[in-house]
Amino acid sequence: MRTLFGKAGVAALGLVVTLLAAGCGADDTAVPPARPAAAALPQPEGAGVVTEVPEADSQPDCGDPTASLRPRRGVPSPGRFASGSTMARIVADGKLIVGVDQNTYRFGFRDPLTGDIEGFDIDMARAIAEALFGDRDRVQLKVLTSEQRIPALRDGDVDIVIRTMTINCERLADVDFSTVYYQAGQRVLVKSNSGYTGMDSLGGKKVCATEGSTSLRNIAESPAGPVPVQVADWTDCLVMLQQNQVEAISTDDTILAGLTAQDPFTTVVGEPLHAEPYGIAFPKGHEDFVRFVNGVLDRMRSDGTWKALYDKWVAALLGPAPQPPSARYRD
Amino acid sequence: MLTLLIIGLVLAAVVAGLGTALSVQRRAQALDELATSSGPLSAAAQQIYRSLSSADATATSAFLSGGREPSELRESYLTDIAAAQSALAVAVAAREPADVTAPDSPLATLSGQISVYTGLVDTARAVNQQGLPLGAAYQREASYLMRSQLLPAAEALYRAETGNVGAGQDRASGFPFLELAFGVLALAALVAAQLYLRRRTRRVFNLGLLAATLAALVSLVWVLVASTAASADVGRSRDNGSTQSDVLARARIAALTARADETLTLVARGSGDDFEKHYQDTSGHLGGAEGGLLAEARALATTSEVREHVDEAIAQRRNWSAAHEDIRQADSGGDYRAAVDITIGSGEAATSFAAVDSALAAAIDNTTASFDDEIGQARNALTGAVAAVVVLAVIMAASAVLGLWQRLKEYR
Repeated sequence: MRTLFGKAGVAALGLVVTLLAAGCGADDTAVPPARPAAAALPQPEGAGVVTEVPEADSQPDCGDPTASLRPRRGVPSPGRFASGSTMARIVADGKLIVGVDQNTYRFGFRDPLTGDIEGFDIDMARAIAEALFGDRDRVQLKVLTSEQRIPALRDGDVDIVIRTMTINCERLADVDFSTVYYQAGQRVLVKSNSGYTGMDSLGGKKVCATEGSTSLRNIAESPAGPVPVQVADWTDCLVMLQQNQVEAISTDDTILAGLTAQDPFTTVVGEPLHAEPYGIAFPKGHEDFVRFVNGVLDRMRSDGTWKALYDKWVAALLGPAPQPPSARYRD
Repeated sequence: MLTLLIIGLVLAAVVAGLGTALSVQRRAQALDELATSSGPLSAAAQQIYRSLSSADATATSAFLSGGREPSELRESYLTDIAAAQSALAVAVAAREPADVTAPDSPLATLSGQISVYTGLVDTARAVNQQGLPLGAAYQREASYLMRSQLLPAAEALYRAETGNVGAGQDRASGFPFLELAFGVLALAALVAAQLYLRRRTRRVFNLGLLAATLAALVSLVWVLVASTAASADVGRSRDNGSTQSDVLARARIAALTARADETLTLVARGSGDDFEKHYQDTSGHLGGAEGGLLAEARALATTSEVREHVDEAIAQRRNWSAAHEDIRQADSGGDYRAAVDITIGSGEAATSFAAVDSALAAAIDNTTASFDDEIGQARNALTGAVAAVVVLAVIMAASAVLGLWQRLKEYR
């Protein structure tokens, strides 16, 4: 009614309209009491508690997966390779194409200030380039996601992959691995003042890992009974830890090292739950190159290069260098 | 018998005058609302929606620049947030308080979450400036909040407010059936009265009733002419204004969303496939010369200025698509830095996107001005119509009474 009888109409139509309009009371705009709004808790996209973790694929049995091909005696000098060998082909190409990560801080990550990819894995690649060319800069880095690693090797897009890649029997069906160049283990990252000492103290608490990772499965299967929470990316876990939405993050200590480096108020605690031996991956059929790289790795273990790399990238976060992982061979 | 006739005629005049005045008043009221309430509110809602989309695109571009963040980008982000918040204040002020406090209402979401969003963006920025990859995770979380909550709320508000404009246009532009009916009723009563008098008195004309008939006729013609003119103006406010504004605004928001996708793909560093997919979807929606929102806007354009702006947007859109291909090629080829260089600063993608945005903004300014102009003309057309109808109704009643009173005296 009020919209029908606007102010102009009321004035013009005089008494009749005034009487009619008087019937409609003034409209009531009393302000309701303010209710406290619910606090907004933003979450990373895709974050959520996992109720069911898919069963692990049964691993084919291949004996000891970490046993690799024994190097020939003495590593050849840079540039002097038998013609027809994989090394000679790479030297002829002029650069070593390496599949790497750009998201694992301290192992393979892009420095936002310089835009360059750096880290432990990257320096491993440079050491191999040094042995091939006598020039550690003859490396072309190619960023790969976890899922892209094996296809990139199979399609010949990269010569090798150095990307926090765990050696296991399933992968050995598709690619070859070097000897173990880094022995990682799944551990737990918590806030420094939280009082948690490891997975055992996290029963009923939320623990974060990425979707589809073996770490997530290990959390779900832990006898302590933590609540697994999944996210898309490891840094999303740290966001949730900082926002008090999870109590801990659990995965390879290499990844945890990268996370604790970005938040000094966190620490890595507890004993390794699970061993994760990292190897350099090769396409099938390049046995000469595998043996050559194993020779380079042997030399790095014994001449202190491995320890220097560990000290440069990892020691500040995970403590002083252990012994380099020992090489196991199957001839 | 004559007394009854007098009473009947006065009643007819009053009913016809009142009814006509109310109908005209209703139309004028709808026009007032379009000019002073639903029109500005729909513009405010559009500003919230656009500013937030723009803030998302700008924040991700600034993030990509990292330590080299140009001051213009920061300023433009802060301007977007300020614009969204001031438009939100306008939208909130126009509503009942209950609309704002109801949980999950668009206004509650917007007023509660914008500050959470800016907090996340600033955290991302601070962490990124220390050179830590964690910054990208905060930036992605901020964009996710924007896309999953803020933008849907802004879109719902925008839809509701544009819906109000459409309803207002409907109310203000109908054919004046009621007015016609009332006018005809008054005329019929007067003619009938005169025929009756003529039979009873053998006098052909009664001056009073003639004057009343003339007043009724003038009133009817006035109302019909004014209402039809106003209706036509409102129709033009739709064709030249609001319909085009809506398509252009949606095109502009699609461009901003695609731009945010483009930069987020690089922010996500190697795991941005979902953003690239979303870019392709949004991009298809935006379209170009052949289809999508841009082609729709081109087809709807009614002035050469708007058409030129849309053509410019289509041409720049083509450059932008080509630049986007270059970005994807560089990024998937491992040359991340080259990809970033094309994307931000004076890179081809950044400049051609900016040109698309400003061409669409100019076109929207144009169509919004047309809308305001046509609504203003419609209001002018109705100016005085209500007063005239009332005065003429009074004249009609008075002359009818006078004319019949004279007759009555003669017969006593």
